[in-house]
Amino acid sequence: MSDPILRTENLTKEFGKLVAVDDVTLDVERGEFRSLIGPNGAGKTTTFNLLTGALRPTRGTVTFNGENVTALPPHERVRRGLGRSFQITNVFSGLTVRENVRLAAQAAREGGFTPVEEYLRRSDAFDDVNEHTDRVLDRSGLLGRGDEPADVLAYGDKRRLEIAIVLATDPDMVLLDEPTAGMSAEETRATMDLIDEVLSDRTLLLIEHDIDLVMRVSDRITVLHRGEVLAEGTPEAVSEDPEVREAYFGGVEA
Amino acid sequence: MSVASAVAEQVLNGLVVGMVYVLLAAGLSIIFGVMDVINFAHGELFALGAYFAFAIAGPLGGAGFWVALVVAPLLVGVVGMGIERLTVKRLYGRDPLYHILLTFGLVLIINDLITSVWGKSAQPFPVPSVLDQPVALFGFNYSLYNYGIIVFGSALALGTWLLLNRTRFGMIIRAGSEDREMVRTLGIDIDRYYTLTFGFGAALAGVAGIVLGAYQNVSPTMGSSVIIPAFVIVVLGGLGSFRGAVVGGLFVGLVQTFARTYAPFLEGLIVFLLMIAVLVVKPTGLFGTSVGAGDHHDGALLHGSGGGVLSAETRAKLGYAGVGALLVVPLLAEVTGVTYSVTLLEDILIWALFALSLDLVLGYAGLVSLGHTLFYGVGAYASVLTLMHVSPSVFVALVVAVAVCAAIAWGVGYLSIRVSGVFFAMITLGFAELFYNAVFKFDFTGGSDGLFGVDAFYGLAGLGIDPGEFAVPLGPVVLDGGVVQYYFLLAVVVGSYLLARRLIRAPFGSVLQSIRESEERASFIGYDVTAYKRRAFVVSGGLAGLAGGLFAANNGYVAPSFLHWINSGEVIVMTVLGGMGTLYGPMLGAGVFVAAEDVLSSYIDQWQLAIGVLFVLFVIFVPRGLVSLPRTVADHPLFESAVGDRFRDRVGEQAGVTDPEVDRHE
Repeated sequence: MSDPILRTENLTKEFGKLVAVDDVTLDVERGEFRSLIGPNGAGKTTTFNLLTGALRPTRGTVTFNGENVTALPPHERVRRGLGRSFQITNVFSGLTVRENVRLAAQAAREGGFTPVEEYLRRSDAFDDVNEHTDRVLDRSGLLGRGDEPADVLAYGDKRRLEIAIVLATDPDMVLLDEPTAGMSAEETRATMDLIDEVLSDRTLLLIEHDIDLVMRVSDRITVLHRGEVLAEGTPEAVSEDPEVREAYFGGVEA
Repeated sequence: MSVASAVAEQVLNGLVVGMVYVLLAAGLSIIFGVMDVINFAHGELFALGAYFAFAIAGPLGGAGFWVALVVAPLLVGVVGMGIERLTVKRLYGRDPLYHILLTFGLVLIINDLITSVWGKSAQPFPVPSVLDQPVALFGFNYSLYNYGIIVFGSALALGTWLLLNRTRFGMIIRAGSEDREMVRTLGIDIDRYYTLTFGFGAALAGVAGIVLGAYQNVSPTMGSSVIIPAFVIVVLGGLGSFRGAVVGGLFVGLVQTFARTYAPFLEGLIVFLLMIAVLVVKPTGLFGTSVGAGDHHDGALLHGSGGGVLSAETRAKLGYAGVGALLVVPLLAEVTGVTYSVTLLEDILIWALFALSLDLVLGYAGLVSLGHTLFYGVGAYASVLTLMHVSPSVFVALVVAVAVCAAIAWGVGYLSIRVSGVFFAMITLGFAELFYNAVFKFDFTGGSDGLFGVDAFYGLAGLGIDPGEFAVPLGPVVLDGGVVQYYFLLAVVVGSYLLARRLIRAPFGSVLQSIRESEERASFIGYDVTAYKRRAFVVSGGLAGLAGGLFAANNGYVAPSFLHWINSGEVIVMTVLGGMGTLYGPMLGAGVFVAAEDVLSSYIDQWQLAIGVLFVLFVIFVPRGLVSLPRTVADHPLFESAVGDRFRDRVGEQAGVTDPEVDRHE
């Protein structure tokens, strides 16, 4: 039986006369690694923003873990377990590595805080949050670097911290927005390994235009074209779909 | 006069004032639209135009006005270009806050220069005799000069529109406001255009000053009386929108004129009510296209934290020493008879608390509140009113002050925090001005006199100290009620600092710091950024109210000046001067500022000028504030070898770099 963690129904976003996302219906199964690909202008980024809550759809719904989240702002979706990573590494650069992760762990704390805890207790005095922070630092290979300011980290370690922050929010599902954009082949491999290492037990939705990368890592692929779902299936099935070849490879005949 | 012609005359009066506003707002809006600079000195450039014309026209007699109308704006334009080149230019790429501070300093400088050259009183600036006569049109007599203003203003506005939309110059500056780097890449020296734009905006303000100077008179306060309405117009019309400036200017001119005649109670209020209403409904203003120029700045607020080379223990020791010194001052003052120092310290403590409150929103939540004196003033009124009508206890009065201000902060925050950046600054300024104008209107606030002669009882339910009757002999001196007030104040201020520090170190504060670093990220790890900012604003409003309430209770009076926008500017200056985002920095800044003002004002006449120059230098060279000075000095190549050694271990890698230049000198 299917158990979709994320589902969109007739999701549509219009900017004036431009229909950026057109009637997209999507089911992402719990535990799968799904990719959303498409050429430039296919509506990938708009779809991503509709899923995170950065944009509101013109029509249609987004359901996450069985709950309609269409009208919820980003932070509410994150709190319900829908995390995201950033394309351009977006960490709190003036804070230490540990504090970056701790803030995310604090946000994800079970039961939140009482007013006295929230306003008057030292933020580093919560054992459960600290333990969670340590676990995440350990798992993402940053345990020894907790006291370093985030802005002095090397590029690769910043990506590592980026993923660690996402992990610390304890998401059921993570939306990855072109995590390897602008990277060399070597960096791309390292980043995908890191994602695999740290987030493999979560449901992942990768937004990507690099078709080779997507073929390698995905369980299933959804192809967007001009805002519509063109095809969906396993990498093999999608790569053999004539419509996809037509749209994606600009009509190059096989 | 018939009703119709009375209304027609009001319309004409409104258009006259409106034209002056159009010219002012157009310059302000162009400067903002192109360079993201919020120019508080625009009002002073306006006044400068009037005074230059006054000085030129006087000796020349009959034709003098016409010569002045051409020459004075050009001179103001040159002054504007000089200001841009020497000061404004150095701050491009930083947050608009720094331009606000810089131009606030320029206000003090220019204003002081005007009063020292032309005196403090208003002077008549006669309209040329050719224009100084009534003409009969539409069935009634109306001044030819006023018709002249309407025609001349329209022509100038049209000319400006043509310049912006039909010339190469206009095309380049409009392109530059969209994408500065792109224009530079095209091989255009955009910096030169910025200078010209600033000069052009200044010249327009100069023309407006001449026109209004001859309509009324010239006075040193003419700048500060138009700058706030001019801002309202720019915000109302849409920041950076020329059409908005024109429509907004005429509209505000008409509304003000009609309100004065037909609804005097609303005069001074209606404009701010309109601005708030427009911003709540359409945050971009009437003609603003997007959130626009105001929000694509890439500059960050520079806070002072991490800038010190002093360790946390050293700072704590300095803090204890400081509080210790503050504890013994009144005793020393009694012994030596220098009681005046206690009054000065009380002032400093109040401002330190006020600056601390601002730091919570400015330094931690990244919100530039341009109307923070709203809470200071309302706290003072609430405290005095409570003492008069409810309870003589200072405790009750302060609780009421804090509660009222926190509630107002919640309301203002609710309306404005979803609107970002510059709009938040403007809407807070709008609310502060609304309350400032409102207290003049009501009997219960004492109108323009304010409320005075209030005594506070330092206790509850009869148990406590009445400062009026308190006297304890201690050795050679007698401690009086003033000493009680002083220690109470000191305790509240130190307590507030400790509370603020606690908040910042708690989960709440850690989230605020994450918001300061990256709002987007904070929201995507699950924090409701808007809610956190709003809460910070509520705490800040409450603390500012406490500061105002304390001052009013201690001194037994409150006046409309507590709500004047100058206070909002000064408290921002103190916060940045000390180093925002550190809590203690702004308090230190308040101490230095109030002390400097006190010393300078007692020794030199041009103290405003001196303070203004100090700001300008500070904003340009030490934007992270006083608390960053030790590090700036330690990092400076000149001091590297001399001071650097001592700090080397703490400053780290930076100190390891030695400058060969310096080595050779040794």
